[in-house]
Amino acid sequence: MSSELDLDRVYDHHAQALYAYLLNLTRDEQDTRDSLQEVFIKLARQAEILEKARDQRAFLIRLAHNAAIDLMRRRGARVGNQNQFASEQISPFAPATDPDEQSFRTELTNALNQLPSDQRVVVHLKLWQGLTFEQIADVLGVSPNTAASRYRYGLDKLRVLLRPLYEEIK
Amino acid sequence: MNTEDSFEQKLRRQPYREAPPRWREEILTGARLAATESSAARRPTSGLSFFAACRRNLTNWLWPHPTAWAGLAAIWLLILILNVTTRDSARPQLAGQSAPPSPELQELLREQEQMLADLIGPVEKSGTSEPKRRLPGPRSQRPVELLNI
Repeated sequence: MSSELDLDRVYDHHAQALYAYLLNLTRDEQDTRDSLQEVFIKLARQAEILEKARDQRAFLIRLAHNAAIDLMRRRGARVGNQNQFASEQISPFAPATDPDEQSFRTELTNALNQLPSDQRVVVHLKLWQGLTFEQIADVLGVSPNTAASRYRYGLDKLRVLLRPLYEEIK
Repeated sequence: MNTEDSFEQKLRRQPYREAPPRWREEILTGARLAATESSAARRPTSGLSFFAACRRNLTNWLWPHPTAWAGLAAIWLLILILNVTTRDSARPQLAGQSAPPSPELQELLREQEQMLADLIGPVEKSGTSEPKRRLPGPRSQRPVELLNI
């Protein structure tokens, strides 16, 4: 029954990060939940795969990424509509009490929605997961240079989109 | 560069929403259930559970349209019943049809048989109608005429 205890521990340690990543990737709470469920089903079936991983967080994010991609492929029609209705998606950020902060988070959500998916994912992994470019490259199956350039492109676009508001509330 | 750093730091400080707390129980329960089911499916079936495995496979196979399968089974049963009942009732009818013909008909048939016999001559037995084919014997015993030809 040690695997059950491990599953609890893994959830408590990593589920929040996986949730944030999946929400950022899928822009849909139901898809996020389904992908997270897939990750934990895989872990419950093969508990040993996590023990073999060098970096558990990066490994779990890769599992989550693959689960979400599979899910989105299966739901192709829905994914096709996601960009169109991106502005209607829920905000991935926690609500703020300060109106300026809330306004910034809303604009940040909109700006992230305007990024291509590959840049948005890298920006998220770098800024909110704190992964290195090597780790990001490992998660996404790209070179570290590609990960770094995607981050730069994505960050530059965010800066352009958020500059007026950022300058105002700085 | 300072502006860039502060911008990145500003972004990094934005907290993500918390995962709904109820998900924890749902996801962990779902994962454990799926793992239990898959391990049960992988377990080899013993002799005693052979019929249970057959029943489960059959149920899985029939499950998508149980009404359609039941309807098909009922139709086959109906066809089988009809087939059995008509076969049993057809026999006496055929026996009734093969009743002996009337004397006039018998006389007429006899006359026609006689007429046929006069026309084609006496009927030979099939056993004597065709001479037996002889297999060729050894070359030394063949008739000389054949060799001359």
